[in-house]
Amino acid sequence: MDNKPSLSQYFGDKEVPPASQFFDEIGTSPSDMIQSIYLGEPEGNQTSTGSVFPQNMTASFTQQKMSEEMNFTNVVPTVSTAAAVPATSLPDPSTFFDTIGPEPQIVPSKTGSVLANPTILTEAMDGLSIKNQPVDKEADRRRDAWLPNDEAKKTLMKAQSSPKGSFFPEREVLTMPGLVLEEELADALQEVAVKYLGVSSAGSRGVVRAEHVSRDEAGLRELLRTGYLRAAVNLTHVLISAAGQGVGRMHRPTKHTPRSLQLWLTRFAVMLRIKLNEPLVKEAEPFGDFSKPDMFYEFYPETYENRTGSLVPFSLRLLVAELPSHVGKPEEAVDRLYAMLDTIQTMLLNLREGKTEDGSATIAEQDKVESIRLWMGRETRVMHSLVNCAIAMKDYRQAATILLTLQQQASSAGQRRAICSALCRLWLLAGHVRAAMSCLDIAREARHHICPTPDVREYVDLGLIDIAHGKYQEAYNNFARAADQEPTNIMVANNLSVCLLYMGRLKEAISVLQKAINSDPERGLNESLLINLCTLYELESSKTNEKKLNLLRMLCKYKSDTIPNVLECLKL
Amino acid sequence: MDPKEVVEHLVALKVMRLTKPALISPKIVTCDSKDLPGNILNNYLKDDATSVTQMETLSAGQFLLLPQSFGNIYLGETFSCYVCVHNETNNPVQSVSIKADLQTNSQRILLTTQQNLSPTMLDVDETLSDVIHHEVKDLGTHILVCEVTYMSNYNTLASFRKFFKFEVMKPLDVKTKFYNAESDDVYLEAQVQNITSGPIILEQVSLESSQQFNVKSLNEVDDGISVFGDVTLLQPQESCQYLYCLTPRENISKEIKLLAAAKNIGKLDIVWRSNLGEKGRLQTSQLQRMTPDYGDIRLTFEKLPSKVSVEEPFDFQCKIVNASERTLDLILKLRSLQDSSLLWCGISNKKLGPLEPGQSLNISLTALPINTGLCNISGVSLLDLFLKRTYDYDDLASVFVY
Repeated sequence: MDNKPSLSQYFGDKEVPPASQFFDEIGTSPSDMIQSIYLGEPEGNQTSTGSVFPQNMTASFTQQKMSEEMNFTNVVPTVSTAAAVPATSLPDPSTFFDTIGPEPQIVPSKTGSVLANPTILTEAMDGLSIKNQPVDKEADRRRDAWLPNDEAKKTLMKAQSSPKGSFFPEREVLTMPGLVLEEELADALQEVAVKYLGVSSAGSRGVVRAEHVSRDEAGLRELLRTGYLRAAVNLTHVLISAAGQGVGRMHRPTKHTPRSLQLWLTRFAVMLRIKLNEPLVKEAEPFGDFSKPDMFYEFYPETYENRTGSLVPFSLRLLVAELPSHVGKPEEAVDRLYAMLDTIQTMLLNLREGKTEDGSATIAEQDKVESIRLWMGRETRVMHSLVNCAIAMKDYRQAATILLTLQQQASSAGQRRAICSALCRLWLLAGHVRAAMSCLDIAREARHHICPTPDVREYVDLGLIDIAHGKYQEAYNNFARAADQEPTNIMVANNLSVCLLYMGRLKEAISVLQKAINSDPERGLNESLLINLCTLYELESSKTNEKKLNLLRMLCKYKSDTIPNVLECLKL
Repeated sequence: MDPKEVVEHLVALKVMRLTKPALISPKIVTCDSKDLPGNILNNYLKDDATSVTQMETLSAGQFLLLPQSFGNIYLGETFSCYVCVHNETNNPVQSVSIKADLQTNSQRILLTTQQNLSPTMLDVDETLSDVIHHEVKDLGTHILVCEVTYMSNYNTLASFRKFFKFEVMKPLDVKTKFYNAESDDVYLEAQVQNITSGPIILEQVSLESSQQFNVKSLNEVDDGISVFGDVTLLQPQESCQYLYCLTPRENISKEIKLLAAAKNIGKLDIVWRSNLGEKGRLQTSQLQRMTPDYGDIRLTFEKLPSKVSVEEPFDFQCKIVNASERTLDLILKLRSLQDSSLLWCGISNKKLGPLEPGQSLNISLTALPINTGLCNISGVSLLDLFLKRTYDYDDLASVFVY
């Protein structure tokens, strides 16, 4: 399973059960952890506890053990202690594991009152945390590793060599971000629902939810998990402002911490998802390419003694590098991504020579293997981004070249197969049907190593080639074969429906999509699928409003605020 | 489409152009599981119906999205559209039929429907629909006219029309160049430029030669592999250069008259594809070359070696063709020019002929190179005894002497 190019691979983590994300980074002192405990109304507390903490808590921890995650193996024996704590006396478990780094928190006071029984809490934390263990320095180094450029290196040397308290950096070496998007974002789905369905049927669930989470990272995650993305952006606004980087703080010196950068990451990631591209670009601008020296731990020798690498999470670096491609400047993104790739490859070179990522020290074998695995995963992720940029530019030659490199690097049949299949579709995008067919042949060969008979992916690729040839009936048959294997696959249903339209069977096309949505509303109410369905509605008749409003009602019932533009999807 | 329509019709007509669908991918936003959002955003991506399992971070999806705009249409492509008539009332509508035709600047084309659309009854909420295909063969403005006829509530036939206007643009620019070789072969250089707004794949470019020539494509290396590699992908404004060698068919190469008249080279046949296999095909008009002017006499050297050793005599052939309308009496003169590196061996002032119109004559010549280097074959001249005119042939060929 770990041979397959799954998401988790790029980040060096094996598949982890969702619960694990609350236990990642733990502050060093108990007070740090307690500060972010939720202080809101009790019922809100309970709701979030319930949804966050799975019933089968023990089970999920056992799974944790199975996942061979080094950090957690020793945790397991104490889990029973944690489970034994009555759920009511436990503060929202997601809350005390948020703090990333030992920086001061937003609400340092009032925390004591929540701790009805400090002993139990400490026990609980001990059980769930790795507090009493040495921090996994290797994992930190590995994850944070990044190479400063020559300019930054000079400043970092100065910072490291200056006597305590005597290092005053120039303004030019500082990163000075600030919020740009000022207004509070309203729940977009809610707004549309109120406008088209009236206040009564729209309900006010979303608003309640957004106001009842704790004003901290745990609350943020809760909003993300429940899909109140705009509320999450609003909450990052609050938290970033509290960290001194709010509106009007741009171009003014500020203090960066791993936590503040995690907040920015969360904000940017969500803004990108809901396509708030314009303010996002403005807010990302002061960060540049994160090459200023104050983005490195070495800049703060007093706070982070002996810690190396960058405060910037890899995902943030990648997101900002990719950003121009989302606003119509993919060329710029390509330049930035190649610069990233260059750094990664230098680090990999160091690692392969038996040195640490920055080449400064030697590295143990096991550590080296882990590091290489992590950074090769990240390298692949950057290359995927490069392919995506090339596709955005319609530079299919470039995209194919990179994919071919990835194909040669592929270590398993599954990987090779997935890349060949992607290449097949890439050539279809370009219109090169012959190349697509030969890629599919190679993919099929690789598939034979995995399963003897064609699977959904292969049937769908075959169907897509038929579409390129204009053979819609054949395409339909291939999609139908895929549907036989996975009757609930939304993508397959969607493709069947598209085929039906080209075959002149509009009514059937509509009913296939409606059925797909009804059978699995959570997944079926997908932006692109809604666009397809509303396109079909509009083609069928001029009286489409009621049908579209029905979709809106379903959205209100099953989805929260995750769709960037509801009106556009529903063509209202 | 027609906002001024006042009469409320019982049926509604909708038309949608069917370009190829697009392959869509989700917005790819990922995080490290140790980051603040943990795997939440990663899971969003995984659960998205448009993402491809285990290739979530690559935007080469499998999810088809219907065309959301009319798009561009180019000469040689097929115009396809979906025509749909819907009963908008709460009662059945009788005798509904659709007729579609396409008006261009020059003609009016009745578009054939796939199904036989004889007037039918449309029940409540039922539709009458069809997919129409038409290969576009004209440039410029096209107007699709759709006419719907039905039985109105007053038992009279009612009808209305809708017009959809679109411009057909030129997809490719083809520039040609001809080279007439001494050997009577003709080389054709064809530059095919993509002038559409997106990348295209040239799926097939071939030269269909005319009756007078045999064609050999020079765009493949020995084992049939294209010199352009696997991909003949042209970004907008890029062009690709193809080279063909045309050899006159035997019956023509023998007759200098026919050769001089062989202007028609052939037609270029180009098939391209773009987005998701959208196909287009164009054929150029008959390509015409400028034929060389042979004058009265045509003299060519044959069987000439490309390199010879110094101070060793070598032989070659001289072919003389009478391209005039009269019988020629000729004298062949061989002069060894002062600065020439070549000395002639054999008889000069030899009388040739008579040579009938269209006939040819082969003469063996021997020369002795006295200097090394690239050496022009010069000093051959022909004297036309009737016109008392001398033709000099000094720059026809050269040999390398070593």
